[in-house]
Amino acid sequence: MSDATASGIASAAARSNRRDIGIKRRYAAERRFKAYGIIAIGIGLCFLAILLWSIISKGYTAFWQTEIRVPITFSEQILGTPEDALKSETKLMMANYPRIARDGLVKLLDIDPSNRKAVTAAGKLISSGTRVALRDIVLKDLSVIGTTQDVWLYASSELDSAMKGQYDLSVPENRRPISDQQLQFIAKLKADGAIAQRFNWGLFTFGASSRAETAGLGVAIIGSFYMMLIVLALALPIGVAASIYLEEFAPKNKFTDLIEVNINNLAAVPSIVFGLLGLAVFINWFGLPRSASLVGGLVLTLMTLPTIIIATRAALRAVPPSIRWAALGLGASKTQTVFHHVLPLAAPGILTGTIIGLAQALGETAPLLLIGMVAFVVNDPATPMDPATALPVQIYMWANEAERAFAERTSGAIIILLAFLAIMNLTAIFLRRRFERRW
Amino acid sequence: MENMQATFNKGRAVQAAIPIKMTSRDVTVHYGQKQALNGITLDIPERQVTALIGPSGCGKSTYLRCLNRMNDTIDSAKVGGEIRLDGEDVYDSAIDVVELRARVGMVFQKPNPFPKSIYDNVAYGPKIHGLARNKDELDEIVHISLRKAGLYKEVHDRLDEPGTGLSGGQQQRLCIARAIAVSPEVILMDEPCSALDPIATATVEELIDELRENFTIVIVTHSMQQAARVSQLTAMFHLGDLAEVGPTEKMFSNPDDKRTQDYITGRFG
Amino acid sequence: MSTPTILLIVFAISLIGAVMAYRRASTLAAAQATQLHSRPVYHASYVACWATIPSLLLLAAWLITAPILISTDIRAKIPEETLAQSELTEGLAYGIVESLGSGLRVLPADERETVTDQTPVKDLSALLRKRGVPVASAGADWMVPLAVELNALQVISRWVMTIAVIVLAGFGAGWGYKKIAPRLRARNSVEGVVRGALIAASSIAILTTIGIVFSMLFETVDFFSRISPAEFFFGTVWEPRFSAAGSTGSAGSFGFIPLLAGTLYIGAVAMLIAVPIGLFAAIYMAEYAKNRSRSVVKPLLEVLAGIPTIVYGFFALVTVGPFLRDLSTEINGLVTGNYSSFIQAQSVLTAGLVMAIMLIPFVSSLSDDIITSVPRSLRDGSLGLGATRSETIKKVVLPAALPGIVSALLLTASRAIGETMIVVLAAGVAANLTLDPFQPMTTITVKIVAQLTGDLEFDSPQTLVAFALGMTLFVITLCLNIYALYIVRKYKEQYE
Repeated sequence: MSDATASGIASAAARSNRRDIGIKRRYAAERRFKAYGIIAIGIGLCFLAILLWSIISKGYTAFWQTEIRVPITFSEQILGTPEDALKSETKLMMANYPRIARDGLVKLLDIDPSNRKAVTAAGKLISSGTRVALRDIVLKDLSVIGTTQDVWLYASSELDSAMKGQYDLSVPENRRPISDQQLQFIAKLKADGAIAQRFNWGLFTFGASSRAETAGLGVAIIGSFYMMLIVLALALPIGVAASIYLEEFAPKNKFTDLIEVNINNLAAVPSIVFGLLGLAVFINWFGLPRSASLVGGLVLTLMTLPTIIIATRAALRAVPPSIRWAALGLGASKTQTVFHHVLPLAAPGILTGTIIGLAQALGETAPLLLIGMVAFVVNDPATPMDPATALPVQIYMWANEAERAFAERTSGAIIILLAFLAIMNLTAIFLRRRFERRW
Repeated sequence: MENMQATFNKGRAVQAAIPIKMTSRDVTVHYGQKQALNGITLDIPERQVTALIGPSGCGKSTYLRCLNRMNDTIDSAKVGGEIRLDGEDVYDSAIDVVELRARVGMVFQKPNPFPKSIYDNVAYGPKIHGLARNKDELDEIVHISLRKAGLYKEVHDRLDEPGTGLSGGQQQRLCIARAIAVSPEVILMDEPCSALDPIATATVEELIDELRENFTIVIVTHSMQQAARVSQLTAMFHLGDLAEVGPTEKMFSNPDDKRTQDYITGRFG
Repeated sequence: MSTPTILLIVFAISLIGAVMAYRRASTLAAAQATQLHSRPVYHASYVACWATIPSLLLLAAWLITAPILISTDIRAKIPEETLAQSELTEGLAYGIVESLGSGLRVLPADERETVTDQTPVKDLSALLRKRGVPVASAGADWMVPLAVELNALQVISRWVMTIAVIVLAGFGAGWGYKKIAPRLRARNSVEGVVRGALIAASSIAILTTIGIVFSMLFETVDFFSRISPAEFFFGTVWEPRFSAAGSTGSAGSFGFIPLLAGTLYIGAVAMLIAVPIGLFAAIYMAEYAKNRSRSVVKPLLEVLAGIPTIVYGFFALVTVGPFLRDLSTEINGLVTGNYSSFIQAQSVLTAGLVMAIMLIPFVSSLSDDIITSVPRSLRDGSLGLGATRSETIKKVVLPAALPGIVSALLLTASRAIGETMIVVLAAGVAANLTLDPFQPMTTITVKIVAQLTGDLEFDSPQTLVAFALGMTLFVITLCLNIYALYIVRKYKEQYE
């Protein structure tokens, strides 16, 4: 008890001689400073949310495509008989498929075939891409000629946009891309259950097209895939070899210093400069073809190398020297030590760095523009020497199209690109979590 | 339980004649799941040097950092029990940690001068606390602090040079001057000489002895000779417990606790 | 034989050699009492090295030099007087000869037989077109013999090369095999080769830089031989006209100043927004945030860094630009009653703002690293004196981290200057020289893209100027990077 009173007196004495050190003011400053930090982070996260929301809200509809179920009569008058087709495919190839499709739709909608205006309006609801779709059906099975089949056809981008509610229907008829008559057709199709939104596989498989509904990322995905393969096949071994040399063998001298500075600088050189390098060296000097994914892959390899080297060196440095001493002490040569002990231990770190480097390369656009990958490529490239585009470049090309449906496709393409990147980065994070060793 | 009670009594039974500056009752510290201090009860006498000794990892630095709440800066650390400074609970929500640290200063194991000039290093504390009304007062505080730290003669002509350019011993005395400049009531020293050579150590030890006139000092040390040289009261820590506490002379000549005996005779350490 | 086939054969030879070497080394080890210096697997690799390395070097050298030798030979034979009449340059004429020659290889053997020196170019073109090979219309009869000769030379060169490379591979394998002996230090030799390969790999970084510098240097020098450097660097009008091929009119003006101004202006706007946000975010995460929230917020902000710049460009084009334009319309309407926009959809502000979003994570993660690398003892020293956290940060941590932060900002600036896709889509193409941030301006990178997409002619200033721009961009960012790296190094030394 006495203890308590004693301390009470002491504290009173202490309080009387307490100095004024501006606590209140200083804590206000502290709170303000902290608030700035929170606001800054908030703004950053806010930007991220707006960005993602803007892309996703615009783009998710691109994964659905409006299709119309049309009873198609594969008439012999237009296509010729199967016997003719066996003799020469020319007539089958050149036949007027859009006319067949239109006739089918006209029949479906009960339009008087002599009403030219109505027939034209109905025809505009179907994508011009039906030519290829119907031709493929006939070529696959000649026996359809002369029969009538229900076929799901791609709707035109105007109808697609209208179905997705992307047009403001309150504006006067002549100022919107879809007429009242066409809207009536749509209503009738809906009532018949002959119109539906189906998953848009074409977005992943089609090549370039001037019509939004038949434009797809097929060529771009293949092109990007080739380039990633090339980057992986070249940048990984070269990057790992360079890192091993610099980290394990290189003497400390002017030359290795120069390499160090070089690598760090290359990591910060604007990507477009690599495009100029590719254009001047690979295309103009070596004579490699423009627009080829081979050249793109080489340019991206040079760009990715510094990233991989920096990550690999960090991974090698994280292996404790005691491992090296142990191996050397057993009489292993320096090379054996590195390849048998250090490299396997550093492998998870190297892999993570490589995946992150690949993800960067996958999103790179500017250098590819300069080596001519902005091309209108319809057919899938069979080899890396064929003209191709890349995912980000396709996004760039679509972003420059004016049509409403292309904006939707662009956002859809961005979602696909971001999904690829997310998968790669998550894999990297998973690997790091799973295999990371703490020494 | 019995053991704890015994330690409790040991901690309190010290020299009733000298006023007590800080008291601690049953102080515990957890780092996450791991308990680092198991209930320390210790009184720290005013204007005396209290030495905390013990083998490494015994919790003496952890205890020291509780006294001015430096453990707050470690996220995982949780402090229990009660510590009073002049009767006020330092972990009370009414007590401000900034104010507390202005009253209980600290000198660290490794000299850690700021990458600023010698003058700015010493002036830093008075400036942030607004202790000087004008430049002249600030100059005076800096000069007095440097003098008290025994550094003035060596550096008075180069106050504008960076503090990091001094020798190790000088740097540590600069850190002491920096602590003194705030005119704290208590100075905590966490192995202040462990990074110094023997000559610099001797200088700092002398300085500690002189500072006893004005300040209450708690010093963690690894070296028993140092504890014997500079302290009046010694507390022996062992594995998070307070093994024994008593007047320094008695501790080194005739310790009660077996662990203290073993330690000062060099069986472990 | 095609190059991949040759490679395949060389690898097959080296594989056979390696297997034989392995067997022989094993038998040697078993038969003789002496121990092998190296394990059999090293002997195998030793032989494989001998088989592949010299032959592949020969292959590479041949592939590079042979086309040059052949083309000089053929070019020398192009009759100069006919060339002068036909208004063709030598390069163009050679191009036609080359395409005729490569067309010949496409023809089936029996058709190729019919083509002789006397075949008129019309017939040859017709033959080629039938096989789907496009031929330039400017072909002339004198080109046919050259094309035939070119084709013959190429065929011969390829055969000689194939034989030489394969023989060399076999010879190398045999040589290595003969050297196998118990005391052969095969491991050391193989390790020497490995080390050589490692050195070669690390030299690629240097080669890349050399490649960048030289590829741009040649074109830049070419450009400056047509347009004077003074006109380029100090000109204030950018208006390169694309003149029709062959016509020698004025090439237009290539004033660099508007591009530089646009680049710096947009970069400055971006930095002005990104630096405070990024820096405060970094400070908060390094000094205040609990581990839990840090482990959520940090990756989220880094997501911004992982988003490709083309996505930012599209975001600027369809969301931010129109938003700012409409916003300005509303503000203008509320203030003056005149509903017209004063911010254009493509403007310095749009590009700067969106670029800032991209730079925030860059600034924050670089600064975060630097702030956390300030030793804890300094923080403790300050806190132990009774400073508040923010006082410690402002007066101790930030001054100590200043050099590092400056270098981080330089690296960020270098990135802002070199950024392409955002400005291509958001800044506009008009080379304005203005101080109004609501107007479009253009940048160096936008103009590089503009000059180099589409058809290229490597002898017109319109194409070459892109390399001059690229060179300038490279030099600017190089200076920023090197200076930043220099500061970082000094800074690291201070705390190590």
